[in-house]
Order: sequence, then C-alpha cells, then structure tokens
Amino acid sequence: MSDFFLPMIIIALILYSLYKKKNAYSSFAIGAKKSFDLILTTFPYIVTILVVVAVYNASGLNIYVSQALSPILNFLGVPPELTELIILKNFTGGGSIAILENIFQTHGVDTYIGKCASVIMASSEAVFYVTAVYFSKTKIEKFKYLIPLALFLNFFSAIFACFICRFI
Amino acid sequence: MNIVWTITLIASLIVMLVIDPANAFSEMLNGSEQAINLSIKLWAVYALWLGILQIIEDTKLDEVFKKLLNPIISILFKDVDEYTKNQIAINITSNLLGMGNACTPSGINAIGGMYKGGNSITGNMSMLIVFNTANIQLIPTTIIGIRILHGSANSSSIIFPTILTSIASVTLGIFLSKICAKIFLKEKKHE
Repeated sequence: MSDFFLPMIIIALILYSLYKKKNAYSSFAIGAKKSFDLILTTFPYIVTILVVVAVYNASGLNIYVSQALSPILNFLGVPPELTELIILKNFTGGGSIAILENIFQTHGVDTYIGKCASVIMASSEAVFYVTAVYFSKTKIEKFKYLIPLALFLNFFSAIFACFICRFI
Repeated sequence: MNIVWTITLIASLIVMLVIDPANAFSEMLNGSEQAINLSIKLWAVYALWLGILQIIEDTKLDEVFKKLLNPIISILFKDVDEYTKNQIAINITSNLLGMGNACTPSGINAIGGMYKGGNSITGNMSMLIVFNTANIQLIPTTIIGIRILHGSANSSSIIFPTILTSIASVTLGIFLSKICAKIFLKEKKHE
C-alpha cells in the first residue's frame, strides 16, 4: 500500500506542474542545489551530537544511566528492557534503531516488549538532534524550557505506549 | 543544550579514562565518522526532497496545504508570515506522511521564518518543536519496515497504538507549550 503511495504522489505532482505550465525540471534542480547549503548548516550539529553519543555508549555510561532510571520507569509501567532505547531515542533516531533491532532479536517482534519498543520509536523524536538542527540557521542559544518539555513529552509517550500496548 | 552536551561529554570521557583510555579518542573519531556517513545519506535525502519541495513551491501547491491546515496552524502559531505558514504546513504534512528526515528542510525554514533576531526561543518555535517531538504520523513506515525485516507476523498492529500515543503526546505538548510560553517567555517583555 505505502509502496505505491510515494511514486503516485510524485507522478501527480509532475503532472500538476505540467498543467500549471511550470518547468518541473528546473524547479527540481533549483531545489536540489539548496541541499548544499542545508547540509553545510546541519553537518556541524550532527557531528557534535554523534561524537558525544559515541563516547557515551563506549564508556558504558548508557548502562549506568539506564540502571539508575529503570526503577522509576518500571514504577510507571515501563519494562526495564526498554530504558536504554527510551534514553538514546532522545539523542539520535538512527542510533536507536540498532537498539530497537537488538530488542527484536532478544525479546521478539510481536511480544509485549517488541510492540512497546516499536510504538516508542514511532511516536517520539530525537529531541537533541532535532533542536540542534532546526535552530542551526539562527543564533538562538537560550532554549529556556524547551528541552525539558520535549524530554518530558518523550518520557510521557513511552509510558503511554507501554500502557496502550497492554490492550493489543 | 550546552549544559547537557558538556556534562555528558565530560562524564563519558572521565569514565573512559578509568576503563579504557586507549580507545577514548578513537571512539570520538568513530562518532565523527558516523556523522559523515549519516550526513552523506541525509544529503541525498535533502537533495531529493528539496527538489520535490521546490516543485511544490513553484506550482503553489504549498498554498493548498496551507489552506487545508490553516485552521490548525492559525490556532497554534501566532503572528507568522505567509512564507512561514507554508513551511509549517509542509513540515506537518511530511510528518503526517512519515517522511522522517524529509521534514528537516521545511522545519529549518519554518524556524528561520519565525526568527527575528535575538538569542531566545519564541512560543511559535517551541510549538513547532513540540509538534515534531510527538512525531505525529499516519503510517509509521520506517518502523513497520524494520518489523517486517525481523519477521513480524502482524507488523501493522502498531499503527493504532502509535497514532493514539502521538495524539496524546501532541495534545499534552500543545497544552504545556502554551503554558510554559506564558510563564517563561512573558518575563522577558517586562525586563
């Protein structure tokens, strides 16, 4: 179903562009050119975050932090097997896919834990990454309440996901 | 951002010094290498999507998205110009369609459009980040794909719980973002 979705949208878009008598070819080229600028702006922030995530994971600090937070999350109905995923998901979406696959291999895909992990991955976002990249073209340094709020929302959706998965 | 980054880096490096000093630097280099690999992939994604987005903008289709989403956008975002509204509309649409990294270009443009100088966030920016944090999407294509790869018998069973969770998270987020903006951002005007 979703395999057909994107190609069909693109065909419709090109046809619409023809109908509007616009040059889709040069529009696309102009748009693609902007990717240089975009990647130059976002790259420094991607490095900054991934360098920290690499040492954070290699130092084993991720395991200590998970162990420290597990009892609290467990109290709120989140299985301890998911703590590491929930924490890392705040930093990097790509990096947490490795942990998701690990959970699938150890605990199964269609188990309670497997389903919870899937829903958590799909309903939260890498807050640190998104904030760093989205603000990369501005000079904003004062994020005030934003990071704590977004982190809170990710933890909330993890707790909510584990609750809702009990019923499916 | 700065505080979390600094604390995490220093703490991680200190632990590395104790357990495995030889690999501390090479792990950082490893992270940097991952960033290059990811950026090349992202570059490809950006180039393709910015090309498509440019066709959308040139055919004025973004105005159509904006009209459809305008009721939501005008409630959530106050005093934004037309360009920013279009970018927000594209950002929300690409979120809904589960396009993942394709949301980034419009997100950056939307924040850029809201930015009027200074070094502090605004209520509108916080709202956009909250919207992206809840990752609200109709079909979580990426995760379903990974589930299929791992032999799930019912890979799409997560669609409904995911939508419910996203809606719960985005509703709470909108509410809290409005409250926090009132408490933390008003003070600035009194200064």
